[in-house]
Amino acid sequence: MKKAVFEDFDGYREVAAAVEMSRKLGVNYSPDTDLADPYIRRLHPDRMRLRVSDVFDETSSTKTLRLVAEAPPLPPFQAGQYIALSVEVDGVRTSRPYSIASPPNQLGFYDITVRRVADGVVSNYLLDCVEPGDVLESSGPAGTFYYNPIFHKKTMVCIAGGSGITPFMSMIREVLECGLDRTIHLFYGNKSFEDIIFHETLQWLSERFERFHYYPVIEEPPDGYEGSRGLITGRLVKETIGDLEEKTYYLCGPRGMYDFCVPELEGLGVPKGRLRREAYGTPADIEKDPGWPGEVKGTDTFVVTVRGRGEFSARAGEPLLVALEKGGLAVPAVCRSGECSMCRVRLLSGKVFQPAGVLLRKSDRQFGYIHSCAAYPLENLEIAL
Amino acid sequence: MADYDVVVVGAGNAGMTASAAMAKKGLKVLLLERHNIPGGCGTSFCRGRFEFEVALHQLSGMGSPEHPGPLRMMLQELGVIDDLEFVEIPELFRAVMPGTIDVRLETDKAQVIAELQRHFPGEKEGIEKFFDLAFQFATQMLSVFYFKDPDASRDKYPILYEYAFKTCREVLDSFFSDPLLKAVVSVYWGYIGMPPDRLSFAYLAILYFSFIEFKAYHVKGGSQAMSNAIVNKFLSYGGEARFHCGVRKIEVANGEVKGVVTEHGERISAKCVLSNASPVATYLQLIGPDHVPEQVHVEMRGRSLSMSGFTLYIGLDCEPGELGIRDSTSFIMSNTEIGEKVYDQMRKLHVEDDLLVLSCYNIADPDFSPKGTTELNLVTLKFGEPWLRLPPTEYFREKYRSAENMMRNLERVYPGIRDRVEELEVGTPLTHMRYLGHPAGAIYGFAQHMKDSLFFQPGGGSPIQGLHLAGGWSGDPGFQPTLEAGKAAANSILKELGA
Repeated sequence: MKKAVFEDFDGYREVAAAVEMSRKLGVNYSPDTDLADPYIRRLHPDRMRLRVSDVFDETSSTKTLRLVAEAPPLPPFQAGQYIALSVEVDGVRTSRPYSIASPPNQLGFYDITVRRVADGVVSNYLLDCVEPGDVLESSGPAGTFYYNPIFHKKTMVCIAGGSGITPFMSMIREVLECGLDRTIHLFYGNKSFEDIIFHETLQWLSERFERFHYYPVIEEPPDGYEGSRGLITGRLVKETIGDLEEKTYYLCGPRGMYDFCVPELEGLGVPKGRLRREAYGTPADIEKDPGWPGEVKGTDTFVVTVRGRGEFSARAGEPLLVALEKGGLAVPAVCRSGECSMCRVRLLSGKVFQPAGVLLRKSDRQFGYIHSCAAYPLENLEIAL
Repeated sequence: MADYDVVVVGAGNAGMTASAAMAKKGLKVLLLERHNIPGGCGTSFCRGRFEFEVALHQLSGMGSPEHPGPLRMMLQELGVIDDLEFVEIPELFRAVMPGTIDVRLETDKAQVIAELQRHFPGEKEGIEKFFDLAFQFATQMLSVFYFKDPDASRDKYPILYEYAFKTCREVLDSFFSDPLLKAVVSVYWGYIGMPPDRLSFAYLAILYFSFIEFKAYHVKGGSQAMSNAIVNKFLSYGGEARFHCGVRKIEVANGEVKGVVTEHGERISAKCVLSNASPVATYLQLIGPDHVPEQVHVEMRGRSLSMSGFTLYIGLDCEPGELGIRDSTSFIMSNTEIGEKVYDQMRKLHVEDDLLVLSCYNIADPDFSPKGTTELNLVTLKFGEPWLRLPPTEYFREKYRSAENMMRNLERVYPGIRDRVEELEVGTPLTHMRYLGHPAGAIYGFAQHMKDSLFFQPGGGSPIQGLHLAGGWSGDPGFQPTLEAGKAAANSILKELGA
């Protein structure tokens, strides 16, 4: 064989000797210890099987499901994160994200708290059909709604609406149980006094811990109610907490609450970086979205052709993802709020409506990709998974 | 008859360019990617108003449309160049050690020499000689190995013959005396992941030559735009891509590749399989140690894993100028170490006084993030191994502890920066491990010791018939090399299949 040019370079022999030596004395890679997946599964499992160990009644419309790992341990998470539970309801496999309400300082179980909602397919299924002993499939913990010590302020102003209390329960419990150097002000809005989830616990914690302040706000309070009433306004926040600086504001609740509270807080001069918002699903009625094209009705039905998988029917008023799930296609989805991009599909032809706030990559937009959980068909579509 | 001519495992840089090149030539190609998006390192993620670039700092090998470099020519050939917009980065880098030195080098050899001479007046002569040598070396290297001069000899290429196997440290020591100068000149080592006392001088010489002659570029929309554009072309050439579709097994019988089994249990036959995964995962996980010829085990045994990265993805609510950020690339130094101490520090869990690389994407491309904002990527190199030993319950605490130290070091250069943070995400070695699937999150594949670099890389071939590998593990790491490696792998598969 012809000698390679580099074999005449100065120092070649020493390098060649080092190659030989390292082959004799180097690393024996092992499938047991040198692959990435086993380590990653401990922290970020794609799928988990969770067994319901207990069900607790919270309010007349709310229950807490306590979930333990079929194959322990549960992975760690950051207070405020959620899991996406995957269930089959009436023959349709679908998933929904639920914030973990228990604190991350114990990993024996995760609690999720579920409220009954009109048309809440999965929530109502969890409330009515799930019993202790049942096994649910879940994603690993996900989401970006948590305290980030690098740039968040040590005083947290939490604004919750209805079942949006759940991520805050995890945060509050962690801060108080671990004695963390943080202060929490919780404004918790509900329609009626009976709707408040965890009221007694919150009341008790606020009496016991100086770092935690609890302000329930009731929209339609009973006669003689002495607490705050109405909506959570900027004025109420300012009057209650005084100085607005050196605080980070966290919001979790239904879309209507964001529509109202975000401008209120921005009006107080809270910059974007100190205003954190949890993804909270897509709007219940997309036709009411300001960008919705008037000529299409939510009940209009279109044909979606999925390349290589057949034709499916889809309603304009329903996210494309839901139509695909009803058609029996398994499209991975986690946040179902247009943010995480797990349900990204390619739009080959046709038009969809994508509400503001969908976190689409610039080049995904350029090359026709959409997040199917936050895309509504406006015509017949052709897509590729 | 096989289902496909080629199944490509992984839509990283090399997997994508290989797929596009083969589909363009008419091969039936299936590209499988276990994540929801293509790109591997070449991806982005969204937080609030920001789309964060994951890994691309400076793209080499582009050259201008008038004087195209090898990468631009390749992207042209694949047909993707018109779908992308590239912007030239006007400077090489800023190197800053607060209170000690602050130099700004442009993509102009004379300016580089003059600027360094201004800061190190006592070493004027050495500085000039060093850069002359680096350029001569790079030119000779290109003549012999890129243009393949058949009559290469010591007389014709004396610099190449003398310096090819010298370390940076040896060359720096022979030209400079000030340790600070040595550290500044060799600060590019971070791009290869090997400290100067072990890094081949060839890499440093080629980096300076390449960035000065062909300039460094950014791609609008980030590396994700490039990944999307390449996959888009691949699909338009008739290729088929599946996302959320990892490969569980590469099937081998009688020393020949038969196809793959997906994570969903589907068996797909193919004449060839191109793995864009690491050789460690390809051989030990996908093929299984029993089917792997002894020579592969022996070859792998000689290699060690490179380091991983620890990254802060930062979105600011102000323009870069407001904080005095004027450079696309800044190296933030805390000391002048270029030897074993650097290595020791990289082997520790925590980021302390490690060398930091700060990329600001809005300097070359003001539209990179929304008006009135700035997007930064602050990265340092860390071995993944200490992170593997960490109990999972300690993970978040340690992650923020290191991130905090990095933020403090950044504040020393840009006071007040923390108050302007609107979004901030932290990527640890485990994050890189999670998304790349690389053992210990090794972002540069196998470590580039002298004995592993240049002519001693594993290459993309395999004793298993029909199996090919391409990516940062088989050749040089980095965007340009891996994108080009895919094209090279495509060429050898096309040849093998007689297409």
